[in-house]
Amino acid sequence: MRDFTLFIPEYIAIAGAIAILATELIWPKIRKDYLAYATAAGALGWLVAAIPYIGDTAGDFEGVLLADDFTTYFRILAAGIVMAIALISAHYMRDRTSTAGEYYGLLLVAGTGMVLMAASRELLTAYISLELLSFSLYILVGYFKRDRLSNEASLKYILLGAFSSAMLLYGISLIYGVTGTTSYEGIAEALAAREGGTDAATVVGIMLIVAGVGFKVSAAPFHMWAPDAYQGAPLPITAFLSTASKAAGFALILRLFTGALVVDAVEWRAVIAALAAITMTAGNLLAIQQSNLKRLVAYSSIGQVGYMLVAIAAIGYGDAATAESASSALLLHIVGYTVSTLALFTALTAHYNRTGDDTIAGLRGLAETQPFLALVITASLFSFAGLPFFAGFATKLLLFQASTTDGLLWLVGLAAANSFVSLYYYLMVMRQMYLFDPPEGQTRFRPAPLLGALAGLLLLGVLFIGVYPQPAFEATDRAASALFEVSASGLLRLP
Amino acid sequence: MVPMENYLVLSGIIFSLGVYGVLARRNAVLVLMSVELMLNAVSLNFVAFSAYRIPSSADATGIIFAVFVIAVAAAEVGLALAIVIRLFRNRSTANVDEAATMRW
Repeated sequence: MRDFTLFIPEYIAIAGAIAILATELIWPKIRKDYLAYATAAGALGWLVAAIPYIGDTAGDFEGVLLADDFTTYFRILAAGIVMAIALISAHYMRDRTSTAGEYYGLLLVAGTGMVLMAASRELLTAYISLELLSFSLYILVGYFKRDRLSNEASLKYILLGAFSSAMLLYGISLIYGVTGTTSYEGIAEALAAREGGTDAATVVGIMLIVAGVGFKVSAAPFHMWAPDAYQGAPLPITAFLSTASKAAGFALILRLFTGALVVDAVEWRAVIAALAAITMTAGNLLAIQQSNLKRLVAYSSIGQVGYMLVAIAAIGYGDAATAESASSALLLHIVGYTVSTLALFTALTAHYNRTGDDTIAGLRGLAETQPFLALVITASLFSFAGLPFFAGFATKLLLFQASTTDGLLWLVGLAAANSFVSLYYYLMVMRQMYLFDPPEGQTRFRPAPLLGALAGLLLLGVLFIGVYPQPAFEATDRAASALFEVSASGLLRLP
Repeated sequence: MVPMENYLVLSGIIFSLGVYGVLARRNAVLVLMSVELMLNAVSLNFVAFSAYRIPSSADATGIIFAVFVIAVAAAEVGLALAIVIRLFRNRSTANVDEAATMRW
C-alpha cells in the first residue's frame, strides 16, 4: 500500500537538509556554527517525530520499505547520532571552512540513508539506500578539499567503496537469477522451495553479498579503507563513520540475513564466523602499534565489528529463539558502542580544537590540563574494553551470552580473549593522560561549554546503560521481535 | 535463440576483467573504468536473467535494476572524478600508489 505517512520523520530530515543548503546559498556570510545548531534542531525534530511510531503497527510501503519497531529503533538512533555529530562539528567546522552548508545537509541525508537501509525489505531499495549513505560519506570524508590527507582518504574510500558495491551487485544479480525476485520474503521462499539443496550460483551470490557488506562495515580482510578514511576525515566525520555507517551496515545485514538468507544458513554461517574471528583479531592486534588516535579508534572499531559479527554467526548457527536474542543483543551492543564512541569523540574534539594534535602522545598530561575530558576519554575507552559499570560491559556480556551456541563456543572464547588484548592499547592511551606531565607551555583550559555539556551528557549515558541496561534492553527486544515477526516465513530452516 | 549461458559467461568474463583491472591498474581513472566494467557485467546479468525468466511474465525487476545500476554508476563516476581532480590539484598525480601518505 502506498502510505506516505509512514516516513514523515524522514521528510523532516530531508526538508532540514534542503533548508540548510538553501540558507547558506541565500546568506553566504551566516556564521557556520548557526548552521550546526539548525542541523541539530532539525535532527531533534526528526527524533521527536519518530516517537509516535514506537510500538505502532508495522506499516508496509509497496512491499519495498517497512516502518516497524526495528526501523523506528534505527530512526531514533540515526537522529540522535546526527544531532550529536552536528553539535560536535559546530566549532570545529567554523574554524576550518568557509562553506559548511553541504556538510550539514549531507549529514542529514546520510542519516536518512541509514534509516532507509534499516527499512528496506527488497534488494534494489536496500542497495539505493546503501549508496545514499555511502555517497554522502565519500563527500564528507573528503570535505577539506585542500587537505592532502582528506583527499587521499576520500579517494581510497570511494575506489574501494565502488569496488565493493560492484561485488555486492554481482552477488545480488546471481541471487535474483536463482530466485527470480528481489524481495526478501520471495528470496526466502524460493530458496526454501529449491530441490536438491545448494547450488553454485547461490553460494557464489551469497559470498559476494557477504564480501560487499563486509566492506561496508569494514570487516577484515575488507577493512583496508577504514584506517585511512578515519585518519583523513574531519574529526566529527570519523565519529560519524564509526557509529552511523557501522550501525546502518548491521541494520541492513540483520534485515537481509534474518529475512532472506537465513534459509540457507549452512552456506554462510561458517564464513561469517571466520570473518568475525579474523576481524576481531586483526583489528585488536593492529591497533596496538598505532601512534595516531584516529587510526587507533579505527582499528578498535574494526575489533568491535568482529564482536558484532559473532551475533550474525549466531543467527546462522542457533535456532529461531537464539537468533532473536542474538539480534536483540547486537542492537543493544550497537547502541552502547555508539554512545561510548560519541562520548570519546566529543572529548577528543574539545581537545583537538585546543591543541590541533591528533596523535596519542598529544594527549600527554591531559588529566592535569583538563581532568574532565580525561575522565570522559577514560570512561569511553573502558566501555570499549568492556569493564564493569560502563556500557560496554553490559552490552558485550549480553552479546556473548546470547550468541553462545554449541557451534560457536570457540568464537565467544576468542572474543573474550580479544577484549583483554584491547584493554592493553586502551590503557596505553590512559597512561599518556595520567602518568605524564603536560608538555611545556600547556596550561589548564576549559572546554567549550557546548562540548563540555555534551560530553557530560554522553558520559551519563555510558554509565546509565552500564548500570541499568533494562530500558535500552526492552527497546532492542521490541525491535528484534519486530524483525522476526516479518521474517517468520523466512525461518523455514533447512535441517 | 542464444542460450542464457552465453550471456552469463560473457558477464563473468567482463566482471573478472574488471576485478583484474582494479587490482592491476595504478591510475585512479583506470581503476574507475575497471569498476565500470564490473557494473556493466552486473547490468548484463540482470537483463539476461530478466529476459530468460521461467515462467516468463511481466516482471521487469531485472530491467529496472539494470537501469538503476547505470544511473548509480554515473553518479559514482561523477563523484569519484571530482575527488581525483582534487587529488591531482593538490599532488599533481592521479596515481593511487603515490597517494599513500597513510599506511598501516
